[in-house]
Amino acid sequence: MRKLTFIVPALVVAGIAALSSVFVVDEREKALVLQFGQIRQVKEEPGLGFKIPLIQDVVKYDDRILSLDTDTIEVTPSDDRRMEVDAFARNRIADVVRFRQAVGEGGYKVAEDRLQSILNAQIREVLGADQVTSDTILSADRRVLMNRIRDQARASALSLGLDVVDVRLKQTNLPSQNLDATFARMRAERQREAADEIARGNEAAQRVRALADRQVTETLAEAEKSAQIARGEADAEANGIFAAAYGADPEFFDFYRSMQAYVIALKGENSTMVMTPSSDFFDYLYSGDYAPNPQAAGQ
Amino acid sequence: MSGNSGGPWGGGGNRGGSNGGDDDDRNRGNQQGGRRPGENQIPEIDELMNKGREQLRVLMGGGNGARRSSGGGGGGGDAPQFGAGAVFLGLGAAVVLWGLASFYTVKPEERSVELFLGSYSSTGNPGLNFAPWPLVTYNVVNVTSERTESIGSSGGVRDDNGLMLTTDANIVDIGFQVVWNVSDPTKFLFNIRDPQQTVQAVSESAMREVIAASNLAPILNRDRGAIASTVQESIQAALNEYDAGINIVRVNLEKADPPGDVIDSFREVQAAEQQRDRLQREADAYANRVVAEARGQAEQVIQQAEGYRSQTVNNALGQASRFSAVQEQYALAPEVTRRRIYLETMEQVLGGVNKMILDPTLAAGGEGGGGTGVVPILPLNDLLGKTDQAATATTAGGN
Repeated sequence: MRKLTFIVPALVVAGIAALSSVFVVDEREKALVLQFGQIRQVKEEPGLGFKIPLIQDVVKYDDRILSLDTDTIEVTPSDDRRMEVDAFARNRIADVVRFRQAVGEGGYKVAEDRLQSILNAQIREVLGADQVTSDTILSADRRVLMNRIRDQARASALSLGLDVVDVRLKQTNLPSQNLDATFARMRAERQREAADEIARGNEAAQRVRALADRQVTETLAEAEKSAQIARGEADAEANGIFAAAYGADPEFFDFYRSMQAYVIALKGENSTMVMTPSSDFFDYLYSGDYAPNPQAAGQ
Repeated sequence: MSGNSGGPWGGGGNRGGSNGGDDDDRNRGNQQGGRRPGENQIPEIDELMNKGREQLRVLMGGGNGARRSSGGGGGGGDAPQFGAGAVFLGLGAAVVLWGLASFYTVKPEERSVELFLGSYSSTGNPGLNFAPWPLVTYNVVNVTSERTESIGSSGGVRDDNGLMLTTDANIVDIGFQVVWNVSDPTKFLFNIRDPQQTVQAVSESAMREVIAASNLAPILNRDRGAIASTVQESIQAALNEYDAGINIVRVNLEKADPPGDVIDSFREVQAAEQQRDRLQREADAYANRVVAEARGQAEQVIQQAEGYRSQTVNNALGQASRFSAVQEQYALAPEVTRRRIYLETMEQVLGGVNKMILDPTLAAGGEGGGGTGVVPILPLNDLLGKTDQAATATTAGGN
């Protein structure tokens, strides 16, 4: 019985000791085994690990990609146009030993602050470099700039035991004071475009109208020409016909045509004639005899 | 779900009680393995489990105590008789608890990731899954469900986050949604800590990058579709670079508009475009009308001329023929015919005309010379005034 009373507590103590001498490192973690603050073991692979109970401590760090958003900072590219920029970084703890040495017990919070200041510095440096203008930032070269920031930040962050996986710019905006001016410019551009549209509309309309008017004039002139030609031909033909017919007896034509002309010319009520009785027509009216006497005598 | 997954770990925490200082680290890792990064209340669950185990131990300890007390009191080895029921009860409860902690279900839209002593062992499919606690732990990840991140202004909400600067230094108001799901639950769990925040940040960055490399005008109209697909590729590429196990299903570019402050000006341009169109169409209408009219008029003129031609020629032919006919007859008896024609004509002419016959012998300077000296007054004005048309006063002199 005595034995049992000793054995049971002994087993319990042994069990506790066994349990506290193993630890599990998750896929998402890396672990350090510390002995009175001294790093004795680095466990980067997941699985079971062993340590000396009571004396050694296990510290675990996240092995996943961590995110960090920078504050918005104003940068001045070489063309002196200020821009508001913010970025985010993706980083992971690459070297736990160095990380621990760099940040101590503060953990990732401390590292975050340091990384933040590294990033701000690199962003300012890269975006404020000589050849970099705001046009460069607002172009396809942005990717190049981001990569440059990433590479420089990566180099600086190595001392923290951090691997900067990626740095990307998010906002690259004008300071809010400049927004109104930009809006005003955009409005002016639109107004110009609107005025241009209307002017072009008028231009096109006028061109179409002028063209139409010209076409009208041309068409009519063409028609007039054809008409005159036709009339001329007709007149010529008529003249030919007349000449052929009348040429047979010009003297008679003269007489005959005169007679016709009298009829038409002296038609009706609108004519008044003052005549002398000596006209041939009155030969008989005044002579009083029936003898042919062409010379009319006075009464 | 995370409560379940935390259960075994709570046990682990208890077991490793000697290094309790590390609990925080472990809990963080654990809880962030779940689907919701950013929540930090796992310690409660931990405590809960500790309590549970405490009670269990009390139960077991009760059995032990009973045995010990019986041993102490009776001094005999027949303690099991007395404690058997409690021990079975305790064992049964332990088995049930162990079973509850070890069996779990995975819904159709989910996959589970099992870790054997912290390292990846297998991926569990939908259905009932078995992960013997405490050796195997598991995380359940919702894989196929689509999750949505909204960036910039969407719907009726105006958000200055959507204001982005273009290459030509204009500002465009962008609102878009990124729809994503999990393509690889292990990568998703093991490689990134803040998946949602990562998608959000990468999406915004990608969109701003694309916008910054483009002019304003194409963004507003023809490039919309292209932008969405470019951004999607860009986001996907970045996430693949992180080995995030995230699949971007689609990018909905909900809004790509001029900012509210200038949108009226853009509408004015549209109105101006309409006006331009209208002006052109009106001019076209005018042209069509006038040109058609002119063609009609031209045709009229030509047809009139043709009519004239026909008329003139026919008239000439008629007259010529008439003359020829008359002339033929005239040639047969010229004297008589001539006289007859003359008289007939005079008859016709003088029949309807106002006549005034003056004998010159009566006039002063008359033909005879020695006249009576009567001076005839011709009231020509009166005569002419009779007709408003230009009247002809013809003096039919001798022959």
